[in-house]
Amino acid sequence: MAHMPAKAGWSRTTLTFAGFLALPVALFAVFFLYPIVSTFYLSLHDWDGVAQNMRFIGLRNYWVLSAQPRFYHAVLNNISWLVFMLLGPTALGLLLAAVLDRGLRGERAFRIIFFLPFTIPAVAVAAIWRWVYEPSNGLLTTLMRNVGLGEFAQNWLGDPGVVNFALMGAVLWWTTGFAFLVFFAGLRNIPVELLEAARIEGATPWQSFWRVSFPLLWPSTIIVLGISAIDAMRLFDIVWATTSGGPAYASEVLATQMYDVAFGRFEMGRASAISVYLLLIAGVVIMPYIAYMSRRVADSEAD
Amino acid sequence: MRRIQKFAAVLGALAAATALAGSARAQEKPEIWHYYAAGSEKAGIDALIDYANKQNPDNPVGQRVIPGNVVELRRQLQTALLGGQPPAAYQSSMASELKTFVDGGRLHDLSAVWAEIKGDEIFPEGIQRVVKIGGKPYGIPFDLSLINNVFYNKAIFEKMEITPPANWDELVAACKTLREGGVEPLGNAGGPFWSLYNFYAPLVSTVGVDGYYKIASGEMGFDTPEFRKALQLYRDTMVSCYAKNWSGKTWTQTADDVVNNNTGMFMMGIWASAYFKQAGFAPGEKFDVFPAPGTDGKVIFQMDAFAVPEGPEATVKAAEGFIRAATSPKGLESFAVPKGSLAPSTAVPASIYDYAGKKFAEQYAAASKANAVLPNLFFLLPTKVGTELGNQIERFAIDPSESTENEVISTLEALRQEALAEEAYTKW
Repeated sequence: MAHMPAKAGWSRTTLTFAGFLALPVALFAVFFLYPIVSTFYLSLHDWDGVAQNMRFIGLRNYWVLSAQPRFYHAVLNNISWLVFMLLGPTALGLLLAAVLDRGLRGERAFRIIFFLPFTIPAVAVAAIWRWVYEPSNGLLTTLMRNVGLGEFAQNWLGDPGVVNFALMGAVLWWTTGFAFLVFFAGLRNIPVELLEAARIEGATPWQSFWRVSFPLLWPSTIIVLGISAIDAMRLFDIVWATTSGGPAYASEVLATQMYDVAFGRFEMGRASAISVYLLLIAGVVIMPYIAYMSRRVADSEAD
Repeated sequence: MRRIQKFAAVLGALAAATALAGSARAQEKPEIWHYYAAGSEKAGIDALIDYANKQNPDNPVGQRVIPGNVVELRRQLQTALLGGQPPAAYQSSMASELKTFVDGGRLHDLSAVWAEIKGDEIFPEGIQRVVKIGGKPYGIPFDLSLINNVFYNKAIFEKMEITPPANWDELVAACKTLREGGVEPLGNAGGPFWSLYNFYAPLVSTVGVDGYYKIASGEMGFDTPEFRKALQLYRDTMVSCYAKNWSGKTWTQTADDVVNNNTGMFMMGIWASAYFKQAGFAPGEKFDVFPAPGTDGKVIFQMDAFAVPEGPEATVKAAEGFIRAATSPKGLESFAVPKGSLAPSTAVPASIYDYAGKKFAEQYAAASKANAVLPNLFFLLPTKVGTELGNQIERFAIDPSESTENEVISTLEALRQEALAEEAYTKW
């Protein structure tokens, strides 16, 4: 088929490819490109989401936001989340995978236990942790009191200086299972011969892990880091369902601020400007990852 | 090519199925949207819709729960309005909330139903002014809760020989006694509403009813000495009484603290009464209420009304029939009793309520006669100012320092100026 002479117009092969491509391209255009363009268009207007007409105000929404401490606070929170998501669940997931890979008894049960929280919907996770973090008689405070650490118990979700760490604790419990699963699968795919060779050469288990296993886990690591970065940028549900961005904006991230401004205050234009800012910031953070992954795919296809 | 044809056939079948689903949806019963998803609230709305459907067997309505609160319902409603598929009627807050949708040309004028149910006679003046936009009613009230009462644990008060405080000095003294007795004096909860609702009592004490409406209309600034004085009174009284770690709790967790004898008092909307009852904490026996200092003889209320989006004639007719039945004395009773709120109509007798409900109904009737029925300021203000006020008051309650006080005032005043420039304020 590939050697068929090209006729005037498109060949059958090209038409077939175009047919198969039409749906994904249409879906991409309708559900991805159109909303982005539409959001940018909205961000240049003053509109409450209800009125029949919008008022064009140019870039005013962007200037107003750039002068608001509330906006910068949310940006900083997103950056904190990015750092946390790259380090926290990734490191803990790797640790759990490495420990379980040593061949512990009850491995199957632990595998389920570690992964189970990741299967719970965000709203349910929020409900669970609202009770765990109840500051007087919640599970965490009670546990700390029982082991003599009661004086270190905090107003977990009510103290502006503590709330973000508390939310990160909940997310660590919730999402580590994903990193664990990817790393565990990666470890199990490492050829036994390599580890055996290292052992025969006299490598300690510590050396064997860092010099042999960890470098070979790079594909798994890059997947976990990339998805963690994306999760940090699009963070919404767990924060909204647990604190709604409070107390007094302390735990707010850009996505929750956007939701509050849009539907809590009827300012669709300004909320759209927040979305555009979020898209740009997420682009800066995530584009290098996408470029790297594209190169890897191109390299592997070339191989 | 044949495969492409098959593919097109599948797409065609999908499109046909979607169209069929659409037409099936069009044949469904007209829907009432609300966010009463569970507990006493759900029991109330179920009873109300059942009652209305029995009155209108030829035009029954269905219901759809939009889980969450007014914000989630707005989101769904905005989408439905843009898509041309609004509900027949929906649960709406009052004042600014209604006005936004009226200004957008989305709501149906309910003057005909209002006249039939004699709205001008059965609803107090304070209620009428927050459902009428430009003199026409666009919402019919069905659910009213007072938010200026303080619940207290009777056993603790009796044990410590405390009488319900009648003024600010007595409240502070009661807090001192409770704290010395090892009980947290006054509960509160995190979120932009609860601290704000508590703040209304010191605010009304300081600026009076006229000042309250002047803040609502934008005539009185947040940088006035009166507003600052109200903040300071709030700090010196209620904030100083708040239980440790209050900002990390939900209101139900704080209500549990009262039930479990850990907290003596809790200023909350009267829906807390139904929660206490469900927890086996009987009104009059285990708990009682008193109006917050500065609000005796007045009531501050939160209210929901049914609003009807413009739509096909048959749908609007069904919605009007539903509202007519739902806001009759029997309809309102069917909702208020299980939900634990008040019927906004003065035609509903106080005898339908329990011990606490009777007290609230008496307060409401007395305040109606004295023309001192005050709507929740949150909804009187332009939406963005009300929401910011809630957040700033919570911030101040967490950190009532002088620097926070100044920042709260400057933030709110800047927003007031912005809203004034946009002519967003309304004189209710």
